[in-house]
Amino acid sequence: MNALAEFGRFGLFVATFARASATHPPPVRRSIEEAYRIGVLSLPILLIISAFVGTNLALQGYNAFAPLGGQRLVGMFVALAGVRELAPMMVASMVAAKAGTEMASQIAVMRIREQIDALEVMAINPHWFLITPRFIGILLVLPPLTVISIFTLTVSSYLVSTLQLGLNGAEFLAYFTDTTEPMDLVYCMIKAFFFGIIICLVSCFYGFNSKSGPNGVGEATNASVVVSAVSCALLNYLMSEILFSGRGL
Amino acid sequence: MSDAPIIRFVDVHKSFGSLSVLKGVSFDIPRGQTTAIIGPSGTGKSVLIKHVVGLLEPDSGHIWVDDVDMAHASESQKLAVRKRFGMLFQGGALFDSLTAGENVAFPLRYHTRMSEAERRAKAEEKLALVELPGLYDRPTSALSGGQRKRVGLARAIVLEPEVVLFDEPNSGLDPMTSDTIDALIGRMKQELGMTFVVITHDIVSCLNIADRIGMLYDGKLIEYGTVDQFLHSNQAIVRDFLKRNADLPPASGPLIPPP
Repeated sequence: MNALAEFGRFGLFVATFARASATHPPPVRRSIEEAYRIGVLSLPILLIISAFVGTNLALQGYNAFAPLGGQRLVGMFVALAGVRELAPMMVASMVAAKAGTEMASQIAVMRIREQIDALEVMAINPHWFLITPRFIGILLVLPPLTVISIFTLTVSSYLVSTLQLGLNGAEFLAYFTDTTEPMDLVYCMIKAFFFGIIICLVSCFYGFNSKSGPNGVGEATNASVVVSAVSCALLNYLMSEILFSGRGL
Repeated sequence: MSDAPIIRFVDVHKSFGSLSVLKGVSFDIPRGQTTAIIGPSGTGKSVLIKHVVGLLEPDSGHIWVDDVDMAHASESQKLAVRKRFGMLFQGGALFDSLTAGENVAFPLRYHTRMSEAERRAKAEEKLALVELPGLYDRPTSALSGGQRKRVGLARAIVLEPEVVLFDEPNSGLDPMTSDTIDALIGRMKQELGMTFVVITHDIVSCLNIADRIGMLYDGKLIEYGTVDQFLHSNQAIVRDFLKRNADLPPASGPLIPPP
């Protein structure tokens, strides 16, 4: 029952934000600043995690296929698991953990210090002022971050496959490119786009509705990352089913 | 200037869950005067003042701001009313990412067509008015409690609103800084001719700045009148509240020294 009420409040929050964004001019300069900040915040950790996920995909793919004599399939494994599934989810998780929690905690602190009330009294719509630039910013950077993650993951898995596991590089790339196609990249960016919507709205929702005191800020931050990650995971499953179903290898 | 009250509360009720905070509050706030609402902590004074600008909606009753009922106003009506108000929040509610002066200039950026230089000049003028000249570029983190309140006050008046709401302007301040804020409010009232509504639990401060005083207790306004009427109240709770302030000044009107 509580979850249903929470979902209803979230729906109202999203409707309020949508109306505020539709009736105000887009804050271009602040959106670009947010995009830059979210991108810069998330990029270093994303590069590191992507690189090591790539290395481990290669290792586990090799462990799985080598006993069956199918070590050449590592490239295919990286393409299917890494490109289509892990990279978009990994980017979403990193951005939810770094930028999403920052959004939630910043807005929660503004709530308990009455700064959001102050915006309202100054006749400045807080949904437009606080959420719209973050929303545009995250949508601008999440798809490119996903492409960067895919590239990093692929390069690291290629390097481990060829330099450490002794696989043939041309064969790795042949299986990789046979399994993926340019549309996969587009689908991954579509996934990232929707993940961005979820992360931003969920994080801002919990920030806006924070209870007072340090505990309230902590709870809002924690809830934002948990709900964002779980929602993105669920959406990832649904979108994979819709986008990749029936396409085979 | 119209004699009609600028704000009118009519039988306002407000509860949070099972906690009933306002239990039928009705009173008028006259134009161009300073009205103070006092009462012990936790009696709903801040809740009351937030209804005026639509930050909270009552469960029942009406809050009229001239001819707009904030209890049933549309968003655009609320926006129009809010543009006529300034508000000083308890902690100042300054934006941490901006300097003191940028905070003051903030509403000008969104409600005027002033250039950046004009906004800065206006903000510096208001900072000087609250006796903080030259503090435009100071980060808010470097401001004392009293300075934060004064910067908040400068921001509240920068658009020269008709009404300024003060939510506990003296809370958390030492007595000397508190006196400075009181004197500032009194001087601004004389210079700017605005309507001030002050929420406080500090009776001394209240007598310093108010033309009319109301006491909120147990969700009801148990006394409301001029300062003299208030000091001669027959209400036992009011007399008890006053007795606790042994250093009360004589009931001879506001204590602001003449400019």
